[in-house]
Amino acid sequence: MKINLEVLEASYIYDKEDIKDLNTKELVPKMVTRRRLTKAAKIVIYLASKIDLNNNRIVFGIAYGETKATQSILHSINDNEQISPTVFQNSVYNTAVSYLSMLTNNTNEIMTISSGDRTSANILKAGAIKAIDGDEIILMSVEALNIENIDKLNNCIDYLEVGVALKVRFTKESKTLDFDNTNQENYPNSVIDMLNIAKQFNPDKKNIIEINI
Amino acid sequence: MTIKNKVFINSSTSISCAGNSNEELFLNICNCNTGIKNNSNFSYENNPAIGVIDSNLTFDENLISQCQKILDNSNLSNFEDTLLILGSSVGGMKNTEDSYFKNSDYKDIDINKHNIQTLIDVIESKYKFYDNIAFSTACTSSANAIGYAYDVIKKGIYKNVLVVGADSICHTTVGGFSALGVLSNNVCKPFDKNRDGMNVSEAIACLLIQDQKTSNSIEVCGVGYSSDAYHMTQPHPNGSKNAMLNALNCANLEPENINYINAHGTGTMANDTSEANAIEAVFSSKVKVSSTKSITGHTLGAAGAIEAIISTLVIQNQTIPSSTNLKDIENKNINLSLQTSKEKVTYVLSNSFAFGGNNCSLVFGSVK
Repeated sequence: MKINLEVLEASYIYDKEDIKDLNTKELVPKMVTRRRLTKAAKIVIYLASKIDLNNNRIVFGIAYGETKATQSILHSINDNEQISPTVFQNSVYNTAVSYLSMLTNNTNEIMTISSGDRTSANILKAGAIKAIDGDEIILMSVEALNIENIDKLNNCIDYLEVGVALKVRFTKESKTLDFDNTNQENYPNSVIDMLNIAKQFNPDKKNIIEINI
Repeated sequence: MTIKNKVFINSSTSISCAGNSNEELFLNICNCNTGIKNNSNFSYENNPAIGVIDSNLTFDENLISQCQKILDNSNLSNFEDTLLILGSSVGGMKNTEDSYFKNSDYKDIDINKHNIQTLIDVIESKYKFYDNIAFSTACTSSANAIGYAYDVIKKGIYKNVLVVGADSICHTTVGGFSALGVLSNNVCKPFDKNRDGMNVSEAIACLLIQDQKTSNSIEVCGVGYSSDAYHMTQPHPNGSKNAMLNALNCANLEPENINYINAHGTGTMANDTSEANAIEAVFSSKVKVSSTKSITGHTLGAAGAIEAIISTLVIQNQTIPSSTNLKDIENKNINLSLQTSKEKVTYVLSNSFAFGGNNCSLVFGSVK
């Protein structure tokens, strides 16, 4: 089965180590909130500032979860120290998009998918299936892997921080944009399908993709 | 696309601290036999009460065993035309802990056995599926997985879906909830004035969901989602209220049609007050309510799936379970079930709420 989606807006950002210019201070003026944000949350909030969210349903994805919080918890347990409550609450896979919902007062359906290397491919499938209902859907795929000792865990990903967002809606029109999961620059495989779409997005023409379910 | 298909749960299995089968699970729930025990394996906490599966098999072996039981009790010869949907909060976290705690060295960690997808990899090492997807929204993970199953079958995209809710107990979750100050050293007392917290637990719960009914089917009638947009861990009653209203609307039912609510009911001060207020706002005081977490514990990402199974068993047995351990009711405006009773049950609503204010309510019904 194939479902076609019109990509209405697209945004992406990446860095080999540490994305620095996320405009977090301006986007999250309250310091008490800002200092609780994880890096994935800051990336999500940045991406959201580049597209019109409008209380839409969101399908978010992250393959490896909140790595820094997870690492901190592991260290605390290993050192027989109390786990930080804030770190624990920030360790769930839906952390980043939950902060976004709070900051934008989005009370709609918000899903988090974690499907390993196929995460963004599955975000597209789930988004396409949901888009059949007729509303515009926000799709977001993020990885934030720049943690201490990452070199001991990673030997294939060059870009440790990546985020991509697409706003889509169902269409019966034919596809105008081909995409695949080619990954010559060693981004995390988990974001590659959506990143390849976002890189080809042209705001001056119709961008219609075909999702094979 | 015309949305037309009905959605049926045709087979289910579970393993948890409350029993190694659905039959044991429901018997223990109805007889108030808890699977929660104090456990001293988590040294940073003073003997917390938690729920551990009693089995000679490893968690991964149990995962495969539960899927095999589903296959054996289904009209399928294999899973090749089936979508596998996993709901899990921690995935392979226990693998990472076991590796790292050996030598405190990262090189021992296999990142591919750390994430959520690793549980799918375990299942797919034995069975071939048409496709798979995994949801990880903390304690709503497998409720959302069932919601997605409802969506893909209702829309005619799949005929067969296997939903697996699975979370194994680990230091991260026990220690984390301890750090939040919500872990009890006693069997939890959901909705009691004197409740003192929750019991972290583990479980595997599997449901075969199909577009055709069989002899013992239970219908998935509707699903309702919402987000609190309020706080990472403190719930807002409007979020849970909206999830329940959305589920009723999806099922085309009124609040008075619901006979029983299987509450999220964790036993924490914050959840139970908020959830009881939300139930009070939506339902009349006639609808019976109970939480079964004083028997199963809070199985985190598996909770939505195991409580969906409990909901199907309530309908199949026409039996509403009691609220084990409930003595001093905090909110007397909701009708908490105080003893297991035979009742006519047509529709059950099951609540799941999670960190980040992620809410999912599911409605199940007897098949006409």
